[in-house]
Amino acid sequence: MKLVTSEPIDLNLLMSAAHHPEAGAVVLFSGEARNHAHGKQVQYLEYEAHETLAEIMILEIIETAKQKWDLKFVSCVHRIGKVGISEPAVCVLTASAHRKEAYTANQYIIHRVKHEVPIWKNEVFEDGTHMWGGNCSCTNPEKHEEFVE
Amino acid sequence: MKIKTFAVLKEHLGEEFEMQSVVNIEQLKQALLHRNPKVAALLPSCRFAVEQAFINKETVFQGNETIYIIPPSSGG
Repeated sequence: MKLVTSEPIDLNLLMSAAHHPEAGAVVLFSGEARNHAHGKQVQYLEYEAHETLAEIMILEIIETAKQKWDLKFVSCVHRIGKVGISEPAVCVLTASAHRKEAYTANQYIIHRVKHEVPIWKNEVFEDGTHMWGGNCSCTNPEKHEEFVE
Repeated sequence: MKIKTFAVLKEHLGEEFEMQSVVNIEQLKQALLHRNPKVAALLPSCRFAVEQAFINKETVFQGNETIYIIPPSSGG
């Protein structure tokens, strides 16, 4: 499966692949399109990416996570194109023997994907306006969060 | 060389255009500022890539490559 895809993300399909006999914990994070932002009603989200570079970077982040934690399964998929309200825009799955590693690795991956990978969100509002990168810590310091293990 | 932009930069600069007579990132930034001063606040946070690799301020452009201007990420 492509890591950056214009196809809808099938959470059940991804979850079914994450089970592992040595894993006592499977964590699934699904980042989904919210119907409000910046005091406005959101109609839908639209993502674009430098696709080849984004794929390479997500793979590198996954490899780094595998070196840092003993993960039995790991996967990350990000959607591009139009994403409707309540649909998954990004998902991260991690599985490990115990829950702490799976939770921590999952947060590490989504943190780096959001802040480093060349993917951009465009929030399209019900009032006909739109906003690129409204959650970006680079242009909005209040949104900046350090990843702490 | 060919310049490709993304997201909000696309709206300020155009998605794809040709640019001549710039040999490094600093000169490219100046040319982009001249093209549209609205990018001034965003440019310091941008990264630059040729094909699938990021480049830095020491990189000298060959003149026939495609330069991707990568604004701050906002995935998730």
